[in-house]
Amino acid sequence: MKLLVPVKRVIDYNVKVRVKADGSGVDLANVKMSMNPFDEIAVEEAIRLREAGVASEVVLVSIGVKQAQETLRTGLAMGADRAILVVAADDVHTDIEPLAVAKILAAIVKDEEPGMVICGKQAIDNDLGATGQMLAALLGWGQATYANKITVEGDAATVTREVDGGLQTVKVKLPAIVTTDLRLNEPRYASLPNIMKAKKKPLDEKSPADYGVDVTPRLEIVKTGEPPQRAAGIKVGSVDELLGKLKEAGVV
Amino acid sequence: MAHDGQTVPIADAENPVLDDLLTLTGAALKPAQTLLDRAKASVAGLVTEDGRVSGGLIEMHQTAAHGLAWLATYVESLRQMQAWAEKLNGEGKFGETEQLIQQIAFGEYLWQMYGGIPMNQGEFVRPQDMGLSQDDQSVLMTDAVRTLTQAGNTQAARTRLVALMQEQSANVTVGASGLDDELEMIREQFRRFTVDRVLPDAHEWHLKDELIPMEIISELAEMGVFGLTIPEEYGGFGLSKASMCVVSEELSRGYIGVGSLGTRSEIAAELILCGGTDDQKQKWLPKLARAEVLPTAVFTEPNTGSDLGSLRTRAVKDGDDYRITGNKTWITHASRTQIMTLLARTDPATDNYKGLSMFIAEKTPGDCANPFPTEGMTGGEIEVLGYRGMKEYEIAFDNFHVKGENLLGGEEGKGFAQLMETFESARIQTAARAVGVACSALDISMQYAQDRKQFGKPLIAFPRVSGKLAMMAVEIMVARQLTYFSAMEKDEGRRCDLEAGMAKLLGARVAWAAADNGLQIHGGNGFALEYAISRVLCDARILNIFEGAAEIQAQVIARRLLA
Repeated sequence: MKLLVPVKRVIDYNVKVRVKADGSGVDLANVKMSMNPFDEIAVEEAIRLREAGVASEVVLVSIGVKQAQETLRTGLAMGADRAILVVAADDVHTDIEPLAVAKILAAIVKDEEPGMVICGKQAIDNDLGATGQMLAALLGWGQATYANKITVEGDAATVTREVDGGLQTVKVKLPAIVTTDLRLNEPRYASLPNIMKAKKKPLDEKSPADYGVDVTPRLEIVKTGEPPQRAAGIKVGSVDELLGKLKEAGVV
Repeated sequence: MAHDGQTVPIADAENPVLDDLLTLTGAALKPAQTLLDRAKASVAGLVTEDGRVSGGLIEMHQTAAHGLAWLATYVESLRQMQAWAEKLNGEGKFGETEQLIQQIAFGEYLWQMYGGIPMNQGEFVRPQDMGLSQDDQSVLMTDAVRTLTQAGNTQAARTRLVALMQEQSANVTVGASGLDDELEMIREQFRRFTVDRVLPDAHEWHLKDELIPMEIISELAEMGVFGLTIPEEYGGFGLSKASMCVVSEELSRGYIGVGSLGTRSEIAAELILCGGTDDQKQKWLPKLARAEVLPTAVFTEPNTGSDLGSLRTRAVKDGDDYRITGNKTWITHASRTQIMTLLARTDPATDNYKGLSMFIAEKTPGDCANPFPTEGMTGGEIEVLGYRGMKEYEIAFDNFHVKGENLLGGEEGKGFAQLMETFESARIQTAARAVGVACSALDISMQYAQDRKQFGKPLIAFPRVSGKLAMMAVEIMVARQLTYFSAMEKDEGRRCDLEAGMAKLLGARVAWAAADNGLQIHGGNGFALEYAISRVLCDARILNIFEGAAEIQAQVIARRLLA
């Protein structure tokens, strides 16, 4: 079985995010970019399934700017077999919307015929969390989202999902879409021999036009702003005073 | 004050980067070289007798000779900084951070060349120490150098650099390293490993004076650390020295002991690779690459440190085998290792380096209760300030058995030459470790300076604090570029003993300065064992001593320059 893993190049989680002065978005010029952490978990899971003999090949896809090839190389260095880069934007500030991404992925799925697509549950930049579900809908496949455990037996996958207040176990018929949650696994460090091998692994470059997809944005971002500054607190001298203040604030 | 009618640029707090910076710094290289040429001619005059450089005269004029070594180190540093800056510029990566690093480095180092280079915090070498006059000195002060010394390393530049460092704290290095994507990917992975696996425990290992857990060694082995530069035909990965530098740097940034584990296998492997027979290579290199055997270097004796040629441990032929008798000291990681690269005298008629041979001596690894279970070998721990994690020992050999097949290269009398062949790599490695330790001092004190508040603001808001941090970042980049250059020369198969020695010499001073200033930023807290910076100070101190003390290092560089 072949596994397809889409990975997104996003602002590194350590970066102190700065909003552009005109409020049109986040400033990404000269900012450190990395693989979306949930996608890294997806790559790790796919490699583990291959190592366990469940899967035979792990194919990565990234859709975005040309520099996303660095992100793909990282995934290849972790142990994925090959990669497809769909160059869909020139400027790092151009975010490709989930529907366009899902359409491109659907076209790639038709070419590659994977037994499972493992996606991150969301990208940490825009937190839309929609691509996996849209892809399932476009393909008419089953989906198991927010996975914290995946087992494959025969033509089905059993997936434990993190839901409000507990865990839910579902069984999906393959092929299917699975999206990963934080606790699914801990991604490995790429070893030196694997980093060396990564540069020899195939990385195909494509464009949205190759898949007949229009990536023009359909959503309009009205405004991007900094989170409000937390106002300074006050010290109270007694419980009575505290209650008084809380009543004043209308919270009790 | 304007010089010769020239308008001296005024540092602008908003934009302290000098116009046309790369042209300026490029133009400073020639006068720097001219000053070095004059110094070299002058020192050569002092130490030459009957047309030959005299060892006795170099000793008599040691400060002049060592000063020359430092001056040459500075000139080479600036040359490599210029090469780094031009490369980044060509790639469109010479951003404001990098520009400030470049301009502060040039401003500061040029001034020091003119007015006095600190060989350490107590000894400054001035052009006059090398027999130069004030006229000679003035060859340095061309227009470009005047501009750079006047407006390069300003408070405005340092403050701005530190503001950028705070903004870009997610970046693994302060300023682009100039290395390619693959090497930077290696850096990222090892940084992640260090943050997850080394940093949380390093301080406790140090405080409890514990050995680095075997679990960490296994994980490093899995990541390929021990077989890094060993050729693929011997079970390694055949990677470059440059990649070894990056790995050593990032691991040492977590803990010098962890950064040194790889170095030790690397140097043992190089010794066997350069001097070993085919059988020895086949037998030992794959085991070293997989960390199935850990090596320890057994060279130093109680009365033989830098003067290795005079060592006295004897290896006496016993049938086909050898029996070793003598005392060794400062043996790092002596107990837990499986093989010793052991230097001993096979020819008792000699009293110099010619009668020395190198052995790959096998032993049974010990534990804390019984550190040396092998017959003929006893030892005691030397308690140390820093550089813990592997433990230091003195060892006594009494009729210790070494198989004849374990004589390196199968030939007696080659030991010293075999060891010398590894010195370039050892110096490069040590320089990389120094850069890593300096980075750890910067990481720790940068964090503290932002968290700690006094007089209503974070410490980092005070110019004397941010100035220290800026200079750390700048000098780290200088030492790093000199280190990478040496490594790349080595990878190209070119002789690089001079540059490698310079990188080690400078790197060690930079690491010590960073650790000392980092502790200063911590104030009283830095003096408490509880704070990590106290460990970094202890760890940084060894860098100026091991793998060639700063004075020996300067001596070797000076002799090469004057030869």
